[in-house]
Amino acid sequence: MPEARREAFMARIRRGEKIEAHDWMPDDYRLLLLRLIHMHAVSEIMGAYPEKEWVPKAPTLRRKMSLMAKVQDEIGHGQLLLRVAEDLAAPLGRDRMELMDDVITGRVKFHNVFHMEAPTWADAGIIGWLVDGAAIITQTALLDCSYAPYARVLKRICAEESFHMQHGESIILSLAEGEPWQREMLQEALNRWWEAILFFFGPPVVTDAARRMMEYRIRSRTNEELRQKFLTRYVPRIRAVGLEIPDSALRFDEEAGLWRYTEPDWERWSRVVRENIGPKSQERIALRRMAHQDQAWVREALVRARTAAVV
Amino acid sequence: MAMTQVEKDQVYERARHTSYDVYEIFVQASDLDPHVHVGSLLAPSPEWALQLARENFLRRADAINIWAVRRSDVHATPDDPDWFAREFDRKYRDVSGYADNARRWKRFKAQAMNIDDVIADVRKE
Repeated sequence: MPEARREAFMARIRRGEKIEAHDWMPDDYRLLLLRLIHMHAVSEIMGAYPEKEWVPKAPTLRRKMSLMAKVQDEIGHGQLLLRVAEDLAAPLGRDRMELMDDVITGRVKFHNVFHMEAPTWADAGIIGWLVDGAAIITQTALLDCSYAPYARVLKRICAEESFHMQHGESIILSLAEGEPWQREMLQEALNRWWEAILFFFGPPVVTDAARRMMEYRIRSRTNEELRQKFLTRYVPRIRAVGLEIPDSALRFDEEAGLWRYTEPDWERWSRVVRENIGPKSQERIALRRMAHQDQAWVREALVRARTAAVV
Repeated sequence: MAMTQVEKDQVYERARHTSYDVYEIFVQASDLDPHVHVGSLLAPSPEWALQLARENFLRRADAINIWAVRRSDVHATPDDPDWFAREFDRKYRDVSGYADNARRWKRFKAQAMNIDDVIADVRKE
């Protein structure tokens, strides 16, 4: 009987049907989705930290306003995604508090790029341009996800990402048009971020979990396909603004139709994500703990205020 | 006065079990638009749901009204395609059921009407 149920579910997936939160789904499907969306939600929130560091230091008022808007968007995306994760986690008896506790206890990972330092304004530019650019590629690749609540939220997120894309380009164009020291600052930022951005898409090997996600039509592209799409889009533009990509092995292999590049240090970056040992991991988690635990009394007081009002 | 760590832990322990309700959010973009469902959020009260809805869903888009409805108050149809089944052809209810009018009017050397033309005509000064 459970086998028949699973088979009927897979038939729905193969017909291209979308799954809703209240539909029956195999535990495996639920857990894979939850892991993906939980990490996505938490990465949106942790992704706001490197950028928020630049809000007080932004070079102009306009830059400050747009950066604040972006930070607000990232937190907003986190909220939308958390709702999707919560509905998946509810049958497992887990709620938002627990999903956020997981950041502090290290039970949920967040993207490698958000463990890094952003020491100069050019880093803020590279984050907006290339880190967001990479994230946009992975997110648009999920728009056809078989899980409808996730796909709907991604549609809204991608619409806002189009602003992020322009915002990042605007910052790096200003620096590229600027004085030699500004172009140098931009080049140094690119040197710092390149390997991390390549790692962002994940290892080229198709893991068992990735294969299952493709069977379930949660995702349809491999890590390597997405990295290749990123390189095709961004390498010519990076070169066009006069920047040098810090990888002498990078070239397009016409015959294979593939970019060849020096592989990032998979093991070192995996440890950064798994063990939260990047240069900024602990500092940002501490900020998250402060928001989550030290402000908990506010959340409780709000509910108490409502109860009191009803009485 | 700053709280001690013990006090902080006590507050956190109590607050951890605080649960917010899920509110479904509907946004009305203009007087001539209906409220449209845009998503859901967690909030401690209906008033907060409306505030958070503005933050979450209206950072750019314009709107004139928001509804926040506690999810438990939403009544939905069963998850059964038969509920929406069409027992027979309903083309007779649609414009497409009268596609032959245009051809038949030709015989009388006149044209079929459509509602957009009528609206445009009535609006014209």
